[in-house]
Amino acid sequence: MMRPILLVSALCLPLATLPAQTHLVVVVGLGGEARYRDTFHAWALELIDATTGRYGVPVDNVIYLGESAGRDTTRIAARSTMENIEQALTDLAGRAEPNAQVIVVLIGHGSARDGEPKLNLPGPDLTAVQLARLLDAFPTQTIVVANFASASGGFIPALSGPRRVIMTATKSGTERNQARFGKFFVEAFAGGQADVDHDGIVSVLEAFTYARREVARTYSQEGTLLTEHALLDDNGDKTGSYEPDPTTTDGALARTITLGYSAAGPIARDPELAALYEKKRVIEQAIAALQRDKGRLEPAVYEQRLEAILLDLAATNKTIRDREDGTP
Amino acid sequence: MIRRARPITGVVLGLAVSACGSRGHAQATLAQADSLASAGEYRTAIEAYRGLSRREPSWQTTRRLASSLQAIGDYVDAEQTLRSAIEDSVPDAHELWNALGEVLARQGRDVDAREVYERAIASGAADRLSAELNLAVASFDRGELDAATRQFDTFIDVYNRGAARTAADFRAVARAVRYLGRTDPQLYKDALRAYDEAVALDPQDLDIQVEIGNLFLEKYRADEATTTFTAILERNPNHADAILGLARVKHFDGSSDAYALVQRSLGINPNLVGARVFLARLYIDLEDFASAASEAERALAVNPRAVDALAMMAAARYLANDSAGFVQARDSALRIDPRNSAFFTTLAELAARNRLYQQAVDFADEAVRLDSLAWRGYALRGLNRLRTGAIAEGRRDLETAFAGDPYDLWTKNTLDLLDVVGQYVEIRSPRFQLVLDPKEAEVVRLYLEPLAEEAYDRLATRYGVRPSTPIRVEVYPRHADFSVRTIGLAGLGALGVSFGPVIAMDAPSARPPGDFHWGATFWHELAHTFHMTASGHRVPRWFTEGLAVLEERRARPGWGDDVTPGFLIAFREGQLAPVSNLNQGFMRPAYPEQVIYSYYQSSLVFELIEQEYGFEAIRHMLAAYRDGAQTPDVFRTVLRIEPTALDQKFTSFLETRFATALAALRHGTGDHRAPGRDVIGRRASADTTDFAVQLGLGKALFSEGRLEEALVPLRRAKALFPEYLGSDSPRWLLGQVYQAQGQLDQAAAELTELTARNAKHYPALQALAEIEAERGSPDRAARALESLMFVYPYDIAQHRMLAGYARARGEEATELRERRAVLALDPVDRPQALYELARAYRDAGDRTAARRTVLEALEQAPNYQEALDLLLELQATRSPGTE
Repeated sequence: MMRPILLVSALCLPLATLPAQTHLVVVVGLGGEARYRDTFHAWALELIDATTGRYGVPVDNVIYLGESAGRDTTRIAARSTMENIEQALTDLAGRAEPNAQVIVVLIGHGSARDGEPKLNLPGPDLTAVQLARLLDAFPTQTIVVANFASASGGFIPALSGPRRVIMTATKSGTERNQARFGKFFVEAFAGGQADVDHDGIVSVLEAFTYARREVARTYSQEGTLLTEHALLDDNGDKTGSYEPDPTTTDGALARTITLGYSAAGPIARDPELAALYEKKRVIEQAIAALQRDKGRLEPAVYEQRLEAILLDLAATNKTIRDREDGTP
Repeated sequence: MIRRARPITGVVLGLAVSACGSRGHAQATLAQADSLASAGEYRTAIEAYRGLSRREPSWQTTRRLASSLQAIGDYVDAEQTLRSAIEDSVPDAHELWNALGEVLARQGRDVDAREVYERAIASGAADRLSAELNLAVASFDRGELDAATRQFDTFIDVYNRGAARTAADFRAVARAVRYLGRTDPQLYKDALRAYDEAVALDPQDLDIQVEIGNLFLEKYRADEATTTFTAILERNPNHADAILGLARVKHFDGSSDAYALVQRSLGINPNLVGARVFLARLYIDLEDFASAASEAERALAVNPRAVDALAMMAAARYLANDSAGFVQARDSALRIDPRNSAFFTTLAELAARNRLYQQAVDFADEAVRLDSLAWRGYALRGLNRLRTGAIAEGRRDLETAFAGDPYDLWTKNTLDLLDVVGQYVEIRSPRFQLVLDPKEAEVVRLYLEPLAEEAYDRLATRYGVRPSTPIRVEVYPRHADFSVRTIGLAGLGALGVSFGPVIAMDAPSARPPGDFHWGATFWHELAHTFHMTASGHRVPRWFTEGLAVLEERRARPGWGDDVTPGFLIAFREGQLAPVSNLNQGFMRPAYPEQVIYSYYQSSLVFELIEQEYGFEAIRHMLAAYRDGAQTPDVFRTVLRIEPTALDQKFTSFLETRFATALAALRHGTGDHRAPGRDVIGRRASADTTDFAVQLGLGKALFSEGRLEEALVPLRRAKALFPEYLGSDSPRWLLGQVYQAQGQLDQAAAELTELTARNAKHYPALQALAEIEAERGSPDRAARALESLMFVYPYDIAQHRMLAGYARARGEEATELRERRAVLALDPVDRPQALYELARAYRDAGDRTAARRTVLEALEQAPNYQEALDLLLELQATRSPGTE
């Protein structure tokens, strides 16, 4: 059974900076063949269900633009034409809170003819430059763009910037085979198995890493050459990382973002619990500090200190759990 | 200037061949004779030359007549023709001395040859440069290497002075420079340049072009050698030396066409010593040492000073364990040329081909002792040192060899490989040294280490010998690397190789899942190591391969290949090699599948022997090989049966064993897929006893989704050929049908039976594990998963499942292994894998490892609640004073 999300780890998101709202825009482009149309629609629904269900984002905060609105009239808001995308993002820009996080997911086939990266849509395609222009309407919000399409690598230089996490399924426009990245990215959020730090939350960075590795694993198991290399950029340098490292390249912003959040209500109502969370935060900081010193310490000394701090953390977490469960 | 680097190219050849002009009427007859000779119509040309000689005796006609006589191997007549012309004082008879010397040299009359070369030089003959070169070569062939080298060196001055004017002159320069190439490998390019100039001056002289082809082959450029020889043969299809050259290229490329080609060459010139020597080599490849010696004798009858023929004789004697014969041949060779390193490199090469790797090292050692510039000797010593496990010494030799001969692809590839292997990790177990790619070492060792130790013990008990340890096992995730380790080149089709103390094999990751059974492959290769130990490395290939396949089957149920329709059809149609000549099926297959069939066939021979004579007989047979016996005598002395009688007994054995299947096989091609859906449907209705059509119909219905209808023909097919358990076997299809229909008991029964006889059927094992889990039979599911690990151990989900089953059954060791495997495969959720491993350590009572491992998990995921709980538990139960 999945554990409900109780709070955001202090390591990931300082309490003071919890985002107010998450808005999700899913655009599914042309499928071309029935099997792709089905697959793309399934990915979109799985992601939306995880966002509204597991992560508690209000249904009203989700917009799904599909290849054919008639395919699922209860879920698809409109057809994924350039005009409708423009309309949806413009409307959202008008109502999104200044500190909201806006997540745009592009699903479909991409191309990069004449060096112009695009998502194939019914009617005129969506180019990276056009999307960049539309996203300029979100001057204060945190933006996440996940482009699952083939040949999507060129979206990073066009969209990269401050407060932005841009992910593409491929490293360039020349990786044209249908990409599998989206399947695993969606799976990461829907299934929860990407929560590798076991804090109860799947961050965008965890989902990206999970998907990248699962893609590589499937290719390897099939004995085929890896024809897609996903990239993530969140430091605004217009260059994506295949293996992001928050301390040196990309990933610092992506690890603080998830699809949704939980209100910290209990903390606000219970000063003792708030103190316990503060203690927990201090312990976590101590662990991080010790890890930075690891290279300078004898292994046995490091282990002993780590164990001591972790035992403290274990005890603190138990006290928090007991208090939240109402156990005396 | 010569010595200028120039890329090797054969382009000049193409330009040169078109420059042919006409002569006057007086030469027209000569031109006609030349034309016949050039086209390979030697006997007609000889008649024409003889007539011309009678009418208008001239040294030109005589020399060409002698040349044509030599082309068909009539050296005695050629010599007589030349001598008569000289004695009859044809005008400018001194122009014949060099030609006479060459005929004498072909017959091994070295002293006489040198005398007439001297005469040619003293007389100022036009081809005196060729005579000088021949004298230098004669010195070289007597072992006077320094003197010969000085003589060869003068040809560079000849070239640079512009003193070479004729095609023969340039050819002499080229040959001299080619000899000098051993001191400076760049000179081979200059040799080629001089050859090109010779061809440009005389495009009709195909002998020059043969030398170019041979140079290409000598420098490992098989494609260019092929082009050269093929072009020659298009002009003269009877050029025996060119045919021989092409045969050598085929052999270089691993093609069995070499045998037919060399026979064709000998059909034109039965006295072509090089062809006899090459044929002897082919016989040695077949481990037919008597025929090899016979060919060497025929070569020596033509030229008793042919050291290459003596090398074949020595090799044949040595490999047949005839020490006296070997010493006699060796001493004869050294009396002729006391510094002939090629004699020993040939022995080294042939010893290695016959699995005598240490002896190959010793022979190569002798080669470099005799001649410090014997680069091939260093290369062979290096390669075989690597095969015997002396890695550092082997690398040193290869580096020396490569410095002297940078064209040697084997050496280059192997040095590159050693750089790769240098990054591998070495893991010691009691009897093995595992050399593994660090990326997969942790997971592979978990299974390979215990398997290797078990295999050693079981094979040691079976064979009564204990090979020296540690046995080095190199496991390559890139098949090309394994191939280079084995043959020096990429492209080997095998999965593993045993050199005795060293085994190399493909890693399970080298091929797609289910492509091969790595556990059985390892067992097979280790069995070879035991066979080599028991036989002193003198076991024939068919014997050790067949016996190793049998050992696979003895290792675990379902290991080792089983019977196929193609094999039985080949048997019924008489396409299998007889037991008494099974090496032929491996070394000179008559059709592409014969090698694979021969493996299985040989394994059945040993099943028969084990059944009729007991395994002890097999041990005695190995001992007989060790003592020098050849296969027919081994049959006679150990089994007390004539080879032909064993052939008959084996035929009866197969007929009885596969009687049911043989009755159900109809088609002659071995391909049991029927051509069309309608046709197969009609044929299946018409003949319900035809395995191929029943299976074909079952497959067709299955693929159409008509599962219920597929059951009837599939059940029939199973009954008709119950032993067939290949990738498309009836049982596999039936298992899938039953699974789809929810009849899990029947599905499990089919797949259990299938995988019990074919444990490399990856999808069947996967399906069986899934079905058994669904049926609530975790023990059976675990067995299927255990079996899977020896096919493809890289699936994390399978390891997790197996760990779960082991945990549920309290099998701590298995759970620990599986948790370690999960971790070794670098799962996305590493903290969880560490936590589960820590828990397994705790359960197994290793609290120290449990603590370290859970700390590692928490280091990466500090809020991982289950891991924190485990840490608290470990802390709470820790004894005072412990870590």
